[in-house]
Amino acid sequence: MSYGYGQQQQGYGQPPAQPGVDQNWLSGIFQSVDKDKSGQISAAELQQALGNGTWTPFNPETVRLMIGMFDRDNSGTINFPEFMSLWKYVTDWQNCFRSYDRDNSGSIDKNELRTALTGFGYRLSEKFYDILIRKFDRQGRGTVAFDDFVQCAVVLQTLTSSFRAYDTDQDGWIQISYEQFLTLVFSLRS
Amino acid sequence: MAYYGQPQPGYGAPPPGAPGMPPYGGAPGPYGAPAGPYGAPPGPPAGFAGPGQPFQPGYGQQPAVDPQVQQWFMSVDGDRSGRITADELQRALVNTNWTQFNQETCRLMIGMFDKDFSGTIDLYEFQALWHYIQQWRQTFDRFDTNKSGSIEGHELQQAYQTMGYNVSPQFVQTVVVKFDHYGRRTLTLDNFIQSCVMLKSLTDAFRQRDTAMTGSVRMGYEDFMTMAVLYKP
Repeated sequence: MSYGYGQQQQGYGQPPAQPGVDQNWLSGIFQSVDKDKSGQISAAELQQALGNGTWTPFNPETVRLMIGMFDRDNSGTINFPEFMSLWKYVTDWQNCFRSYDRDNSGSIDKNELRTALTGFGYRLSEKFYDILIRKFDRQGRGTVAFDDFVQCAVVLQTLTSSFRAYDTDQDGWIQISYEQFLTLVFSLRS
Repeated sequence: MAYYGQPQPGYGAPPPGAPGMPPYGGAPGPYGAPAGPYGAPPGPPAGFAGPGQPFQPGYGQQPAVDPQVQQWFMSVDGDRSGRITADELQRALVNTNWTQFNQETCRLMIGMFDKDFSGTIDLYEFQALWHYIQQWRQTFDRFDTNKSGSIEGHELQQAYQTMGYNVSPQFVQTVVVKFDHYGRRTLTLDNFIQSCVMLKSLTDAFRQRDTAMTGSVRMGYEDFMTMAVLYKP
């Protein structure tokens, strides 16, 4: 590959898949997450249900990102079929995260993050990893927890696809206008 | 013809909040304040753009601390550590509609005033931050022309324009949609601050690369990623 950015194998930002799970079991989980018994899971309900391994509230941006990805009917909430896809997505990410968290600390450090992202096909400088850690480490520990890791991976994926869309000749360089650039970065808010 | 128009010091420096505090600090000059292709340059007096000259601790000496600020500090510093974290700040700040400030805005502001990169701020940094927020509150009120307690699309367009950013209604619409989580198509104070600080940081970064002032930049992958990740919401 001669251009600056990595060639991803499968959809990057997409965790490696794992076999399916039992629907009845999942239905039980859905009902316990759906605290107000509305038949729909809201962002707040989802946030309460998700753990990041640090006893701090799950990253709200990651929750919104995920709801946005799986809320196919744009209701702002998740119904059971949507929940099944979301569940799979989260557990796939969890497995992926665990495989890179070599010391089982519940969060990954810069080296582990580099290994993970390099595995996804990204080629980025050391300086860039410093920035990533600084931006995605919400706990101020110099490491990235699970929820922040997911946000980081999704953001990198979104940005890389946007860049590619502009990089028509695939040489790793783009020409972009002021407002195009602004729109792109502002759109990262989930 | 210069694409961005002539710099009018003071504009586009909405978070003039923090001069000397890279990377968000009040770099001078506007940007995206195109005179040429975009028609009239913003005309309002300098005092109108964003919060004015922010409070800034003098170099070398510690400023006196307002007793009221000190009291605020004590009540915000929940664990009595003498330093305030983004979480503590978040618990203390409310929008006009009584919702809590969003987490990203709190982290963003702590980052601007946290000179030693500890992720926390001390009393003096807090005082600077406090004044900074007050100034934003005034700016917010000024542009909330119908006094609804939130900023609507047309008010935001007016605010950006006054600050020297000449952006299209489409872009303003994107901001409103993205920064409003309640589906009301309006911005609360925290989102207003966040969007203005982002706009300034991104504009400064873009302008730095746009040496020919054409309004368009050739950018490599990692440079692009770095800017986006650094200044993303």
